[in-house]
Order: sequence, then C-alpha cells, then structure tokens
Amino acid sequence: MVSKKTWLVALREYAENLRTKTFWIGILLFPVILAVAVIVPSLLAKAKDVRRYAVIDQSQWLLPAVEERAKYDDVLQLLKFLQKQTVKGPSAVEAMPPPMRAMAQGLEGKTAAQLENKARLMTMMGAAFGGGKPKDSEAGGETPDLTAQTVEFLGWLSTLSPKEARSLKAGIKRERYERVELPPGTADPEGWAREQLDQGKSGLFAYFVLGPTPLDSNDGFKYVSNNRTDQDLKEWIGRLSSDVIEARRFAREKIDPDVARRIQEPVHFDEKQIDSTGQEQKVSTKDVIRQWAPLVFVYLLWVSIVTIVQLLLTNTVEEKSNRIIEVLLSSISPLELMTGKIFGIAATGLTTIVSWIGFFLVGLKLAPTLMDLPGDVDLSILVSDPSFLLSFVVYFLLGFLLYASMIVGIGSACNSIKEAQNLMSPIMVLLMLPLMALMPVGQDPNGTLARVLSFIPPFTPFVMMNRAAGPPETWEYVATTLLLLLSVALAFWAAAKIFRVGILMTGKPPKLGEIFRWVFASDRQ
Amino acid sequence: MEHALTLEHVTKRFGAHVAVDDLSLAIPKGSIYGFLGPNGAGKTTTIRMVTNIIQPDQGTITVLGQKSSELTKDRLGYLPEEKGLYKKMKCAEIMAYFGRLKGLDPATAKRRATELLERYGLGEWADKRTEALSKGMGQKVQLLATIIHEPELMILDEPFSGLDPVNVEILRDLILDQRRAGRTVIFSTHGMEQAEQLCDFIFLIDKGRKVIDGPLSEVRKSAERAVMLDYDGDGSLLSRLPGVTRVNDAGKTAELFLAPGADPQELLHALIGQVKVRRFDMREPSLHEVFVRAVGGRQAAKDLSHG
Repeated sequence: MVSKKTWLVALREYAENLRTKTFWIGILLFPVILAVAVIVPSLLAKAKDVRRYAVIDQSQWLLPAVEERAKYDDVLQLLKFLQKQTVKGPSAVEAMPPPMRAMAQGLEGKTAAQLENKARLMTMMGAAFGGGKPKDSEAGGETPDLTAQTVEFLGWLSTLSPKEARSLKAGIKRERYERVELPPGTADPEGWAREQLDQGKSGLFAYFVLGPTPLDSNDGFKYVSNNRTDQDLKEWIGRLSSDVIEARRFAREKIDPDVARRIQEPVHFDEKQIDSTGQEQKVSTKDVIRQWAPLVFVYLLWVSIVTIVQLLLTNTVEEKSNRIIEVLLSSISPLELMTGKIFGIAATGLTTIVSWIGFFLVGLKLAPTLMDLPGDVDLSILVSDPSFLLSFVVYFLLGFLLYASMIVGIGSACNSIKEAQNLMSPIMVLLMLPLMALMPVGQDPNGTLARVLSFIPPFTPFVMMNRAAGPPETWEYVATTLLLLLSVALAFWAAAKIFRVGILMTGKPPKLGEIFRWVFASDRQ
Repeated sequence: MEHALTLEHVTKRFGAHVAVDDLSLAIPKGSIYGFLGPNGAGKTTTIRMVTNIIQPDQGTITVLGQKSSELTKDRLGYLPEEKGLYKKMKCAEIMAYFGRLKGLDPATAKRRATELLERYGLGEWADKRTEALSKGMGQKVQLLATIIHEPELMILDEPFSGLDPVNVEILRDLILDQRRAGRTVIFSTHGMEQAEQLCDFIFLIDKGRKVIDGPLSEVRKSAERAVMLDYDGDGSLLSRLPGVTRVNDAGKTAELFLAPGADPQELLHALIGQVKVRRFDMREPSLHEVFVRAVGGRQAAKDLSHG
C-alpha cells in the first residue's frame, strides 16, 4: 500500500503546505499568542499610571504604622531581589545604586525566614532612628557600619520616586503607589482631597479616611475614588491596615502574637496518594504534570486537527478544480494518492505541533530569566514516565489519522471551500464534544461518562488522554487502542471508497447521504 | 498487426445512463488515431477507462499487450481535457514530479524536464512558478509533462483547444515526432482540420456507440462525392442544379454533394452562365461533412462550430 509513489505524493503535499502562508501563520501564531498572553499583562501592569493617593488619618497612629508595614514589604522584596542578583554574579550587583549595593553583602545562602527576620529588624531600626543618621554609640557599637548602612538604605528608600523604583525592576509597591502629603495646617483636609480627585493625572487617584478608633470599629473608614474598576490600591491599603490593627488588638488583649498565630492556624491536609504497590506517596510535581499534561495534549490534538482541515481542503479543491487530479490518477491509484495525501497532511500537522512544543520548551527555559518569574519547571519528569508519554504519542497519532481520513474522504467530494465547510460541520460538532467533556472527565477520570466515551472511537484519543491522571486500567488501554486501530482502518477504507468516486465528481455538491452510499457502492466506479 | 490498445465489448454505465455501449476498438502501434464525437458522446469516459482512472462495467481493455491496470499506467501519457497545474510549483519542478510519478528516477526526471523546456522554447520559465505562465504556455508545459517519461501510448484529450496558430503548429510537430519515434498517439478533437491533417485512423462515437471506425481515406471514400466550388453570384440556385442532392453554401464557396451516378461534367455545364466559377474541384467530402452526416442533426453541427 505504501509505495514509492505514495511517498512522492506525501512529499509534494508537505512541500506545498510549507509554501502556504496559512502554515507559517499557524506555526508562528502559537508562540506569538503565548508571548502576548505572558508579556502583555505584565507590561500593562507596568504601564499603569502611578496611583497617587492621600490618607486622612483621624486615629493619628494608624497611618505611620501602615507606612512602616509597607516599608517592611518593600525591604523584604528588595532583599529577595538582591539575593537573586548576587546569585547572577557581581556585574548584576555593580549595576545597582550604591545604597542597594551596600546591602547586597552576606545575603547569599540565607533562607526565606532569615530574610524576613532581617527585613523586620531593618524596618524596626529605621523606625527607632526616625530616619536620622545615628551616632555610633547609639547603635550599640557592635556593628556600627551595618546600622549606618541600614539607615542610609531606608532613607534612600523613603525618598525613592516611583520612576526610580521602577528602574530597579525589583517589583516593589513604591513603583505603583505614591502617597501625597496633606498640605500642612488645612482645616478641611477632605475638602482638599475631594478637589484633588477631579484634577486628572496630576491630582489624586483616590483618598482614604482612616476612622478615629480603628481598634474598636470601622466607623469613619472611607475609600473615595472615581475609578471603580481598579481595586488594587484599596485592597493593598486594606490588607496592610488589617494586619496592623490585628497586631494591635492582640497586644491590647495581651495575647502573645505567637499564641494568636497558633489559634488562627487553619487546618492543613497533607496530600497523599496510594501508588501501585500500596504505599503511601507524597503528591509530587510528577502527579501535577500528570494532571495538566493531558489537557495540553488534548488541546494540541484538537488544534492540529482543526488547522489541517483548511490546508487539506485548499489543496484538494485546487487539484479538483484544475483537473490535475486526472493526471495524478492516470499515474497512480486512488488509494496511493489518498494515502500520500494523508501522510503529507499528517507530516504538516506534526511539524506544527513539534515546533509548538519546541517553542513552549524554549519559552519555559527563557521565561524565568526574561521575566524574573520564579521557578524552573522540571519537564524531565514527563520523560521519566515513558509509558505515559508513549500512550500519548499513540493516541495522538491514531486520533490524528482517524480525523485526517475522514477529512480527506469528505474533502475529496467537494468542489469549493464553501461546500467543504458545509460538509465538514458534522465533524466539527464531533470535535466539540471532547472539549465539552474535558472538565467532567478530568474530575472523574474513572467515572461512567469517562468510561463510555473512551469506547467511542472519535472520542477515544481525547478522552483517554484526558483520563491519564486516573489512570485507566490496563485492559482499557488495550481495548480502546485496538478499537481505535480498527476504526482508523475502517475510516481509511471508507475514505478510499469515497475518494475514488468523489475525486472525479464535479458540478453539484454531493449530500452526506450520497457520500455514505458511495462507501457501500461497488468498486467499479 | 500489433496493437497498442484494444477494447473488447466495453460498456460503462453511470446509474441509468449508458456512457459507453459495447465498444470494440483496435488501435495499431505507431499510428495516430483521432477520437471524434459531439459533446457528451463518451469520448472522455472511454479515455478515462483506457487510462484506468475508472473501470469498465463490462468488457476488457488491453494496453500495450497487458490488461489495463495500475502497471500499465507508467507506459501511458495522458493529457486531460481541462488543463491545470499546481500554481505554486515551478515549471521544471512540476514536470519532474509528474515524471517521477510515472516511475522516472529523480535525476532523469530533472534532466528531461529542463531539456524539454529548452527544446520547446520555455527554457527561461523553468524556475518560474506556473501561475506566472500564460494559458497557452501552461498548456504547453502540461503537454511536455505528458511526454516526459517517453510513453509508448499518448492519449491527448482536446490538445488543440485554446492554442494559438503558432502553438498548434508546434503541437502538430510534436505529435508527428512521437509517431516517428514509433509511439502511438490518440487524441480527441473537435477540430476537423487537425484530424484531417494528422490522423491515420478516425473513430467517431455518438451517444456511447461507435459510428465510424477506420483509416481516414476509407472513411472519406465511404461518403458521398462532393464538388468544392468557389463562385460569385446567386447561391440560391445551386441546389436546383441537376444531380445535386445537398449544398453546404458559405457564400463565396460551396460544397455540392452529388447523387450516385451523377455526372460532374453536366453540373459544370449547368453552372457556367448561372454564376461566375472561380474554382471547380472534385474531391472526397470533408471530415466535417462526414461528421455532421454521421451524427446527424443541426445540433451536432452547432456543437462543432462552437467547440
């Protein structure tokens, strides 16, 4: 069946597809969408105007406490950032402003908890010295340099403009929010703030009123802004205030903060699962990948089928409309021609998929460094699970062949793209179902719905991939694969029958019923 | 005589419609065979069965001594009626591709593609995409692709349609070259002129049935005798002349058909004095006349003049 001529057709089909714009757009679309989806939101967040706000503090103490709390967050963020930069090497540290550079020493190898401690200490120190430069004796003498450095650092930080903060690329809050001081001696601060609110960019984005008795009630707390969609500022100040007030309330009730924390500790379940040997296993990254990889594969298969439809139809319609098909059929058999076309289109689809996976892996490697995102995802786990990966490859190829056969069969009967699209609609409907079943099957991979759908060949590849986290029993793998193989053979045979007749048909587009009859018509057409 | 192609009692139906009805043919090797017939007569169906694109319902087809099958395809060259090429492929590339589909190895296919393009004046187009070609040039490229594997039997469906006079000349030479090389050429045509000039044998099909089949000279002899007349004067009286059964009057020239046994001398006599005779030429009837008579009816004649 797979003769030399079949390969010739496949090769030409493949080369032809590589020449089309559709193919390259398809290949490049994915990384572009991926990049846009990742980069644009963060760019947009960065491009957001600096939010200027004012706070009218009727309690007289909450605002400084909130500021201090905010400063702690920023200090901690900067310390983490510095630690990362020191790992990158001396040149990265060199590029930073002097107060930052001074703080960079001794951060290597510190744990997250140690960094938190240091940040807390530094903030406290800053509060104690009120931003003024301490004398050596006041600092306790032991580490005078460190104290001086800290104070200088904090002083620098508190005068940092949003623009300067942004140029650090450390992701501190100061980049986005700037508090405007109330004019001294105003009798009606709220009236002033209200006026400022209307003045657009140079004015205020929002203002807060902190009530007179924060520890007792929320009375008098107010957030005023004309932008109702961006709630980030409100949430940020709200969270900081809550933290501060909570700590003060504990202190007033003479509750040890550690005790309070223990009381508030939520229940935490340690997630385990039982492996095939009956042992309790910790849920690992591997299992997380097992859960998510199937979704990725289902989408990949789906998208690859949808994209080849266009290419395949364009080629077939071209061959039919200018009668090249007759020249081809005077040289090779319809079956050879069809097989060649299916192989060619399969190669095209797989090229797209493989390059997408390539883009994805490269992106995964580059993204953390480019975007300062945390974490390398260790995909070697996927490779270390060969049977899992193998089942995907098998289902992917079989599923792809099944749909490609159906599409080639139907496509051969059509004389125009429009006709083809009409005839394709049942296949498209067929393709929607596995997508709709994605969630229910994923949540209940061994449920009745999942099991039933696994044995309906057009859905088998999708559903079985989807169920991989289950995982299905071995006999199910074997049975569905055999059934799928059988259906691929059947689809191939039926497509060949339709192809034989359809490829020479011109004029009126055939009805689906008619096409169905061709399948059972005699060979002598 | 050895035959390049034989059809024995071949029948092909499409549903209730009988496209080809009990057709038998024997085409000698090294001959040029013309397939004539009005539109829808069954020419293309016959050709598609010979090229094994479709299979007959009944009867057998023997191509080059073998029963028609996938194996005989490599020894055939086929130019379909509607011409087309892959738009995005280059001329040399598509020719080589068609050659390889006929079993040529890559190097030979490539070499012959370039050679043929050079020889027939399309050398500079070898590396251009076929979408850049004019219609005539595209047709030429396709014709060259048909002979790239030097087929022993060539089947050309309407090769002359749409060609300018220069290209008609080139195609005629090409067909004659093929015969000189000992190959067999079958072509279908609506152009009687080309058929008369080229064909050794004529096969006329109508409504799926064979009407005429034989050497061109015999086919013509079997029909009525005719006189070709160039004249000035009143053409309406021509049909009333003695011995004349029918007239094909074109105004300045006319074809007069004579009843069996009629004397041309008498006719000439009668003509002189009635009209001014510029030419009086006894001859066998034209293929056109044979065709129209065989197929019958004015509709067929109409098809011809438009086809």
